[in-house]
Amino acid sequence: MSPSKKTRSTASDWLGFAPFLLFCLAFEIVPILFLLRGSFIERSTQQFTLQNYIDLQRPIYVNSFINSIKISGLTAIIGVILGTFIGYAVYRWPSERVRQALISLSDVTTNFAGAPLAFAFVVILGLNGVITQFLLQYLDYELYPKFSIYSFSGLTLAYVYFQLPLMVLLILPAFAGIKKEWQESAQSLGAGTFQFWWRIGIPVLTPSLIAGLTLLFANAFGAYATAYTLVQAKLSLVTLQIGYMIAGEVRQNQAVGMAMAVLSLIIMGLSIWIYQAATRRARRWSKA
Amino acid sequence: MRALNKKVYPAGWQVATVGFFLFYMLVPIISTYVFSVATRWDRTILPEGYTLEFYKRAFEASYFTTTLRNSLVLSLATVLVSLLIIVPTVYWVHTRLGRAKPLLDILMILPFGIPTVVLALALVQVYNFAPLARSPFLLIGAVVVYSMPFMYRPVSNAIQAIDVHVLTEAGQSLGANVFQVLAKIIIPNILPGLLSGSLLVFATVFAEYTLTSLIVGARFKTFPLLLVEFTRINGNVAAAFSVISFTIAWLVSLLILWVGSKGQTEKVESIQAR
Amino acid sequence: MAYLELKNVNKSFGGVAAVHDFSLDIEKGSLVSFLGPSGCGKTTTLRMIAGFEQLDSGTILLDGNDIVPVPPNRRDIGMVFQAYALFPNMTVRENIAFGLRMKKTPKEDVEKRVDSVLDMVRLQDTGKRFPHQLSGGQQQRIALARALAVQPRVLLLDEPLSALDAEVRVVLRGEIRRIQSELAITTVYVTHDQEEALSISDKVVVMNKGLIEQVGTPEEIYRAPNTRFVATFIGTANQFPGQTSEKNKVICVNVELLTGSLKEFNAGQSVVVLVRPETIQVQVERPQQENCNIIPGVVETITFHGAVTRLGVNINGQRVVADITVANTQPVSLNQKLWLTFPPEACQVMAAEE
Repeated sequence: MSPSKKTRSTASDWLGFAPFLLFCLAFEIVPILFLLRGSFIERSTQQFTLQNYIDLQRPIYVNSFINSIKISGLTAIIGVILGTFIGYAVYRWPSERVRQALISLSDVTTNFAGAPLAFAFVVILGLNGVITQFLLQYLDYELYPKFSIYSFSGLTLAYVYFQLPLMVLLILPAFAGIKKEWQESAQSLGAGTFQFWWRIGIPVLTPSLIAGLTLLFANAFGAYATAYTLVQAKLSLVTLQIGYMIAGEVRQNQAVGMAMAVLSLIIMGLSIWIYQAATRRARRWSKA
Repeated sequence: MRALNKKVYPAGWQVATVGFFLFYMLVPIISTYVFSVATRWDRTILPEGYTLEFYKRAFEASYFTTTLRNSLVLSLATVLVSLLIIVPTVYWVHTRLGRAKPLLDILMILPFGIPTVVLALALVQVYNFAPLARSPFLLIGAVVVYSMPFMYRPVSNAIQAIDVHVLTEAGQSLGANVFQVLAKIIIPNILPGLLSGSLLVFATVFAEYTLTSLIVGARFKTFPLLLVEFTRINGNVAAAFSVISFTIAWLVSLLILWVGSKGQTEKVESIQAR
Repeated sequence: MAYLELKNVNKSFGGVAAVHDFSLDIEKGSLVSFLGPSGCGKTTTLRMIAGFEQLDSGTILLDGNDIVPVPPNRRDIGMVFQAYALFPNMTVRENIAFGLRMKKTPKEDVEKRVDSVLDMVRLQDTGKRFPHQLSGGQQQRIALARALAVQPRVLLLDEPLSALDAEVRVVLRGEIRRIQSELAITTVYVTHDQEEALSISDKVVVMNKGLIEQVGTPEEIYRAPNTRFVATFIGTANQFPGQTSEKNKVICVNVELLTGSLKEFNAGQSVVVLVRPETIQVQVERPQQENCNIIPGVVETITFHGAVTRLGVNINGQRVVADITVANTQPVSLNQKLWLTFPPEACQVMAAEE
C-alpha cells in the first residue's frame, strides 16, 4: 500500500512503532492470550484441562449460544435484506440533499445502541407503550402477551434498529460501484433489466452482501448493553452470561466464562475474517 | 454533465421504503423526547399533559453531576490518549515503516472482533492487582482499545490524502526535525481528520456502558450507568436522561458533519448516484 | 441511400439544447467521427443512436427503418465506453460471450465466435482472466471484442481511448481502424482529440454547442475549414481581423493581406483572415517575390517542438506564430528582425461573427 520507494526498515524505524505495539500488547493481546490459557486450566490444581469446554455442554450455556446465534443471524438477515432495499431507494433518490440527509441519519442512528435505545423501545412498545396503546385503542389489537419488548421478539426489533442503518451505509458504496456503463453495455448486448441484475448486478453485489451479513452478525453477537437493559435474565445470551461472571452475580467457575469467551472470540473472528475477505473482493471488482 | 437538470421525482416504492426507514429510526427517538415531558402517557395516544418536572428531578438526582463529570473525564482522557498513540504511529508507519502497515491494519481491526464483554473479562483477569485492578486507569486503557478504529480511519484517510512523503522531505530539507515536521506541517494539514476522529471517539466513549459497568462499576459511575439505573427506578426520569444522551449524540454528529464539510472529505463523492 | 440517417434530431436537458437540428447521413461501412469540445452534444447524439437517451424530436433510420421506438437491447448496436465497462464478475471469455448468450446462440458457435474476436483483437491468451487482471489497453480491446462478437449493425465508440496512456492510444486507434475496415462495419467514433479524429476517420463531423459546424473528410476539415470555430479548433491558426477592400485584399488592423478571391464578400465587409503557422516562410533578407504577402516582424519567442520550431513573431504589435523546420532555415535568435512570407492561397477568409 505504501506508495513510494521500498524502504528498508531499520531497528530505529521499528522503535517508532514500539509505543503503540506495547499498548496493544498490554491492553489487547496479552489479556486475550491469558484468557486463552486460563480457559485450559483447572482452577485448583493449575493443570491443563479440557473440562471447562466440556462444561460448556450444560444446557444453560448451550442455550445462550443458540440464542445469541439465533438473534444475531436473524437480525443480520433482516438487516441485510431491508437495508439493501432501503440503500437502493436512498441511492436512487433524485435529490442530492435528501440523500445526504438520509446518509447522515444512518451515521447517527447506527451508533444509537445501548441503554438509551433500549429504553426508547420500552417507551413505544412496552406494556403501556405508545404503539402498544395505539394498536389496542384504534385497531383493537392486543400486542401482549404474544409479543414482549422484554423477550426475544422485542430484542430483535431493538437490534434491527442499529443493524438497518449499518447495512445502508455498507451497501451504498456497493451500489455506487455498479457502473452505469455496465448496465448500458449489457443493454446494447441484448440484455433486459432482469437479465442485467441476475447476471451482473447481483453477482457484483454479492461480496458486499456477504460482508454485510457477517459484519451485522458480529455486531449483534457482541452487543451487550441493549440486551442487558431489555431482557436481563429473561433471555440467556453469551454476552450476558459472560457479564454475569465478571460481575460475580453468578457463582460459576470463572474458567468456564473464559472458555465461553474464547468460543465467542472464535465465532467473531471467523465473521470478521469472512467480512474482510469479502470486502477485499468487492474492492477489487469495483476497481475493474 | 448530461441529464443533470432533469427534474425527476422518486418512485412510489422509494417513498414507501424510505418512509418505513424514517419511521423505524425516528419514532423511538421522538417518543422518548415526548415521554420525557409528558405528565401521563399510558392511556391515551397523545400525552395528557406536559411538564418539565422530570428534567428537574433528573438534574437533582444524586450523582447527576458526578456521573456527568466522570463521563466527560473518561471521554476526554480517552481522546487524548488515543491521539497521542495513534497519530504519531500512523504518521510513522506511512513515512518510515511501510512494512508495518498490514500489522497496523490488523491491530486496528482486532477490536471489532472482540466483544466488549470478552475484553472486559480478559482485562479484569490479567490486571487483578493494585493499583490497576478495576480502576479508572484500566478502564481508560480498555476504552482506548475499544474506540481505536474510530480514531484510526479518519486519521489514516487524512494522512493518505496529503503527500506525507513530500511534505516531510520538504520540511526536513528546510531544517525541521521529525517532531517539528509533525507539529508544524503534518498536524495542521490533517486537522479535519483528527477532529472527526476525536469527536467519534468522544461520542462513542460518552455512551459506553459495557466496559464501564463491568470493569469499574459503581466505583466510577458514568452517565450511561446512571441512565440504566433509572430505567428501573423511574421511567420518566430515565427518558429525560435518554434525551440528554441522544441530544449529545446528535450534537456531536452535527459537529462531525460540519468538520467533514470543512475538510474536503472523499466520502461524499464515493456515495453519489448515477 | 445512407445506412444510418439522423434527421432533424433535437434534444435538450432542462431547457438547454444539447443537440440542435442534427441531420447526418452515414454510409455503410464507413467510420465517422464526432469531434468537438466537451459539452458540444457529440456524446448525447451517440447515446441517442444507442437508445440510451430519448429524442425530443426527429428520427433515426437504420437501414431504412426507424429505430427510435426500439429499446436499446433490441437495436443490434455495439457500444464501447470510455471507462472500459467490462463486467467484473466474468472472465474475458464470459464477457465476450455475454451478448451471444443473450441471443441464445448455440454453445459451439459461441466458442468459435469468441475465439475469432479474441484473435481479431490479438489477445488470444487472456480468455480465462478477469478484467481487473488486465491493463487498461487490454481491457479496451476486450470491450471492443465484446461489442463486435454479436456482429452488430453499427458500432459506437464513446471516447474509447481517453482513459489510456498516449502510447497505447496511438497503437490502439490504429487497431480500431484496421479491424473496422476489415469488417467494413459502420462505425461512429466520438472524440475530443482532433489528431485522433483526423487520423482514423473517413469523415469528420465537427460539432459545437449542439450544432454541426462542418462535415467533411479529414483533409477538407483541415485545409478548408468552413467556420472560424473549425479553423481554430483543428490545428493552430493565426487570426487577422479586418475589412475587405479592393479585389483580393484585406485591410487588417496591423497589416494588409493579399488573399484569394473575395467574390463571396461585399466590399468593406468585416472578415477574419486565418493563416496556418506551417504555411508561413521565414527569411532573414527581404525576399524578391511577386504576388505574395511579405511582412516584417521581430522574433519574440522561440519554442522547440522537435520536428519544427515555433516562432512567435511580433508584427506591428500583433503576435503571429510560424513553424519552421530545422532543416531548411538558418538559425534564428531572439529579437532578430525577419521577413514572413506566405502566398495568398494560404489565407482563409471568413466573415467575422457578431
